Amino acid sequence: MPPAYKLNSMTKQSDSGSRNTATLATTPAPPARLASKHLLGIEGLNPLEINALIDRGDMFADLIQEEQPITPPLSEVLKGRTVLNLFFENSTRTRVSFELAAKNLSGSVLNINVAGSSVKKGETLLDTATTLNAMHPHILVVRHNCSGAAQLLSQHVDAAVINAGDGRHEHPTQALLDALTIKRRVGRIEGLKIAICGDIANSRVARSNIHLLSTLGAEIRLVCPATLLPDAVDAMGVEIHTNLEQGIEGVDIVMMLRLQTERMEGTETPSQREYFNMFGLDRRKLMRAAPNALIMHPGPMNRGVEIDSATADDVEKSLIRTQVEIGVAARMACLEALATKEGAA
Amino acid sequence: MTDLLLHNARLIDPARGIDATGHIAVTDGVITAAGTGEPDKASMKAAAQSVDCGGACLAPGLVDMRVQTSDPGAEHLEDLATLLHAAAAGGITSIVALPDAKPVIDDASMIDSLSLRATRIDGARLFLYGAATTGLQGKAMAELGMMAEAGAVGFANGTRTIMDSLVMRRLLSYCGMLDKPLVQHCEDHALTAGSEMNESETSTRLGLIGAPAAAEAMIIDRDLHLVRMTGARYHAAHISTRDAVDSIRRAKDEGLAVTADTAPPYFMLNELSVSTYDTAFKLAPPLRSEDDREAIIEGIADGTIDAIASDHIAVDGDAKAQPFGPAQPGASGIDTLLALTLSLVHRERISMLRAMECLSLAPASILDIDGGALIEGAAADLVLFDPSASWVVRAADFASNSRITPFEGLPVQGRVRSSWVGGMPVFTRS
Repeated sequence: MPPAYKLNSMTKQSDSGSRNTATLATTPAPPARLASKHLLGIEGLNPLEINALIDRGDMFADLIQEEQPITPPLSEVLKGRTVLNLFFENSTRTRVSFELAAKNLSGSVLNINVAGSSVKKGETLLDTATTLNAMHPHILVVRHNCSGAAQLLSQHVDAAVINAGDGRHEHPTQALLDALTIKRRVGRIEGLKIAICGDIANSRVARSNIHLLSTLGAEIRLVCPATLLPDAVDAMGVEIHTNLEQGIEGVDIVMMLRLQTERMEGTETPSQREYFNMFGLDRRKLMRAAPNALIMHPGPMNRGVEIDSATADDVEKSLIRTQVEIGVAARMACLEALATKEGAA
Repeated sequence: MTDLLLHNARLIDPARGIDATGHIAVTDGVITAAGTGEPDKASMKAAAQSVDCGGACLAPGLVDMRVQTSDPGAEHLEDLATLLHAAAAGGITSIVALPDAKPVIDDASMIDSLSLRATRIDGARLFLYGAATTGLQGKAMAELGMMAEAGAVGFANGTRTIMDSLVMRRLLSYCGMLDKPLVQHCEDHALTAGSEMNESETSTRLGLIGAPAAAEAMIIDRDLHLVRMTGARYHAAHISTRDAVDSIRRAKDEGLAVTADTAPPYFMLNELSVSTYDTAFKLAPPLRSEDDREAIIEGIADGTIDAIASDHIAVDGDAKAQPFGPAQPGASGIDTLLALTLSLVHRERISMLRAMECLSLAPASILDIDGGALIEGAAADLVLFDPSASWVVRAADFASNSRITPFEGLPVQGRVRSSWVGGMPVFTRS
């Protein structure tokens, strides 16, 4: 599916990997503006909003990577505001990433350990929402194992809600940080051939990335076992492959997904050994991709299942660690956009 | 220089639809010429060995797509060498073995090992189905991809139906991805629990617990919905009922990638044979009604049923020397497959070409293996048989070690004279 409209004029064009100061010296991207009060998914964002978030994230990433102090007024975007991290599923990197992002902007961060909370005592999601709402947080960052949970919460709280992953539905900030990582390394998204490989059926990362990358004009291929291919996914404008080597033929980016065994019922794939044999990325299979192809993975990785260590740790080709670094910047842009939206500033 | 020239034969080539006097030349294990009429004098002279077939039928070797091997696990009943030699004596040049061995063939290394052992035996070729589910338990998908890589020609779950619809759906998706057929034994086990024979007036009279015929078509009908969803290749094994034939016929009319086979007992016998409680007639699926038997023949004749397989199994005599209920189902089949199928030809229900198509070309194409075609460049897997030679089925005379048959004492016509695998003689009747 082609993007609704072209964005060349909106995106920073740079074909070399060494941009940085030159672009920073020109006009820095302004804070992103979103039509919605919440960030619940990529689907529904228009290309202008997506690019605004990416460009603003790019600016934050420059600051972080150059280890420059974040100074006022940037550092005070969230001053006096409460960001509540409400994680119903275990997470290390996403939670810490949001926490850091909020703290960089001077927000006060509260982490709710759901495992030891009233939820364990039988409180419903909506009761939890009502309770938390009474404490007047400004931004609620929510991860939940049910698709649609973030949207449900957003209807019952006054805070702006950021979806940090809901079931198999969306993980918008992951897609934004992935796009930002690609853009900083390659210089563009449009026209790139990107293969998203692995457990598509159970992946919210895949859905958010399909929406985002195809909106920005990338050519998306999905590579996965037929048993992990959700119904009618071709309607999302992607090309489907059930053979990894064929699927990554000539692609610029190989995006691997984690085999989400916790979301499986046990019969989708025969074994991890067979999965690696057929769908695991190793050096030999990677030869089929474009010569300068880059590897991404949202983490955490199952080494020896969807990717082997030599490939994952290849400093030339693997962007996996960069993704984590960029994540903070992308989330700063998101928090800022919602804080600005809130209008209290 | 031709190694072997077979001439003055009634050439039967289902691939080209030829049933006429002709000849075949073989060099280096491969057919180098196959034509009608007699070869010219020069070719005759140039052949190292020349055989006058005396008008006997020369056809592609049989491909038996449903055989249960007792090796590994019960070699005392029938080991691989005996099985492959006996198959050659029955005119079968390729056997496709089910995964129901001990241990179950649900792992690539088992496929490797059995295939390697078969190459050391001068008999029929051995092909293998991988188990669709680990241990044939019907729950967890086995490592189909790795087994396919090791040479599995398809996947089957033995005589246990995949009852779980979700597991079946995923198996079909996965097999579709690997482009291998999924072979289903069609029986709703919940409906047939404890059954001893076909459900009918006969089962009531005999006091045996009946398995309703519908239990077969119910699984096929469910599976066809899943085939529509997945687009996979589906093969219904040893079908035995009219309802099953009707379902398969409709699926084919619809254009689904569906095939089916049956075995000789289902077009030769009906449930009345059980009346003496003779456990040789205890089979899985059970012998059905006369109307079902008639429907199976119609299905073979009109192409609804693609293939005929022996359903051969070596059953322990002790497991048959039981009351009918607890007796183990199954019987020997490779010695009688050709003659029993030819009985349909002698009774003019199907043509000789159709018979040989069911026995060679159809199973070979379902499983994507070589066979069923007398064409230049094909491996010289051949059978020479006298279509009218009469004999009486005596299990004691079987080449197979499996000596239990529901056809004991039956006069039949059609006897194998010689068979060749890759141009090498693997059987010659003395």
